[in-house]
Amino acid sequence: MVGDARTLVDLVARVGAAAAGERVPVQVGDSDPELVGRWCERAGHRLLRIDDGVAVIMRGPIPDDDAVLAEIPPERQPGTRLWIYTNFDCNLACDYCCARSSPQAERRAVGPERIRRLVAEGAEHGVTEVYLTGGEPFLLLDLDEIVRDCVARLPTTVLTNGMLFRGRRLRMLRAMPRDGLALQISLDSATPDLHDLHRGAGSWQRALDGIRTARDEGFRVRVAATVSPGAAGTDETAAFHGLLDGLGIERADRVIRPVAQRGFADDGVTLTVESLVPEVTVTADGVYWHPVAADHADQLVTRDLFPLADAIDEVRRRFADYRRESELAAQRFTCA
Amino acid sequence: MRQAVLVGAVAYTTNVVPIWEGIRDYFADGPVEMDFVLFSNYGRQVDALIDGTIDIAWNTNLAWVRTVLQTDGRCRALAMRDIDRTFQTVFVSRAGASLGDLADLRGRRVALGSRDSAQAAILPVKYMRDAGLGTDDVELIRIDTDLGKHGDTGRSELDAVRALLDEEADAVALGINTWEAIGSDELMPDALTEFWRSPEYCHCNFTALDSLPDDVGKLFVDHLLAMSWDDPKQRTVMELEGLRREWVLPELDGYASLFTAVEEQGIPARW
Ligand code: SF4
Repeated sequence: MVGDARTLVDLVARVGAAAAGERVPVQVGDSDPELVGRWCERAGHRLLRIDDGVAVIMRGPIPDDDAVLAEIPPERQPGTRLWIYTNFDCNLACDYCCARSSPQAERRAVGPERIRRLVAEGAEHGVTEVYLTGGEPFLLLDLDEIVRDCVARLPTTVLTNGMLFRGRRLRMLRAMPRDGLALQISLDSATPDLHDLHRGAGSWQRALDGIRTARDEGFRVRVAATVSPGAAGTDETAAFHGLLDGLGIERADRVIRPVAQRGFADDGVTLTVESLVPEVTVTADGVYWHPVAADHADQLVTRDLFPLADAIDEVRRRFADYRRESELAAQRFTCA
Repeated sequence: MRQAVLVGAVAYTTNVVPIWEGIRDYFADGPVEMDFVLFSNYGRQVDALIDGTIDIAWNTNLAWVRTVLQTDGRCRALAMRDIDRTFQTVFVSRAGASLGDLADLRGRRVALGSRDSAQAAILPVKYMRDAGLGTDDVELIRIDTDLGKHGDTGRSELDAVRALLDEEADAVALGINTWEAIGSDELMPDALTEFWRSPEYCHCNFTALDSLPDDVGKLFVDHLLAMSWDDPKQRTVMELEGLRREWVLPELDGYASLFTAVEEQGIPARW
């Protein structure tokens, strides 16, 4: 009894004197573990474990999910962007494709009806922007309908390789709204070599033509470059910006990002659930953490697309957990 | 130009830095800018307030009393935490010691916290005197750790509880915050028990001299009181600083008992 009381006094002394978030080991001997747990709960600390008579306690107050999320700028809040993989098949088979898309890939389309419902539910639950991606969305012959439905609710971006703006698909493009829609077209380099190396011979020229067509049709065009580590020297970067200046692409509409180590890519930036700020991503197979890993079981959040609000809440909750943990880890590993 | 105030606080735990950085960040968006300096003890903090180095001091009740005494009352309390309005001292014994009232302490040993702690030393002595116990009636065991910090660290009180558990004392006087931190008698009813609880009194406050312009004081207080428990970022700071829910205006009546105790016990105004 007195032993337990002494333990409580030690807990107050040791944990109370620690910095918020610190993990504090406290000798608790053979004191009742349940008592230690109750004390932690009352005091707003978290009992992590008790091993060999030593309790490890995270010093409170432990920020709740809202407090953790409040640290993230509004535009990066998990759940504000909704990514939808309209389909997984593609006319290209880029060697770094994070979605493992190719002409042989199964379509796995979400379909207009479910997309409409996803966007409607998302808009009700804090989504402010929609990104339609794939695969190549322009392979879908109902893409214009899908885009119109999305734009009617929220600002929308369609990611495309820009190579299919001909015939029926050009007519489909022309039928899309200009307001509230942006096309994000992939172009990796200032000259064909680098781009074609990863994306296939002749693809650079056709992407460039696609950018021109979309611009001529009055669309807002963003250009996204995927760059291998070490591939973009200063000269290449300057030449690339020169090309985009000539195409009339706004500076703010240029996205240059490294290859992610996902999908077909052998090397690249390693992205994990813990290291990525999530952007809720829906495919025909489920809801995923982030669009770079929409085909990867390790980033699957749920197989249930509906209600989307539940999946968004789950992503926010898990993200708050990781953030809390990593901030506390950062405090533990400060080197100076 | 935006008004600015410099607030002094005593560094009694490592958490003082995130607390005051959080409050400073909160004020960065407000009508008055605020920055802080940390002192190692309340004595020098009060000196710094009086000599104008700082505009406002986050003072304990004893530091407030001493500021009033040193300035002949030319100072004012601006605001306090909600918990500062209802502070209490409790007397605790081992369970089964059959102490029912302060008068039962006659001939017993009472462990007190640091002699500059209002809650664990100065007021307990007054309460015992008021209960008719003279200096020779009770053996006081003083545990003077962390002097200068007015009992903020709680260490002397915890050492006093250890003395009680070791049967080196028959009773101990604790601030209500320390008693609750141990779990009061809910977590260990078979080990310790509270047998007397004081009336409520006031603890910390933000102290300024009369020379602080009224409009600046008002901007500071209004913005402080607007801090919201419902805002997750602000709540983190408030929790760390020990607020129950909100900052409030001070109630000066709650310091009367300490003024009396300081006078009765001949505690100097400056140290
Ligand atoms: S990176 Fe884009 S264009 Fe290339 S295969 Fe994947 S989806 Fe198709």
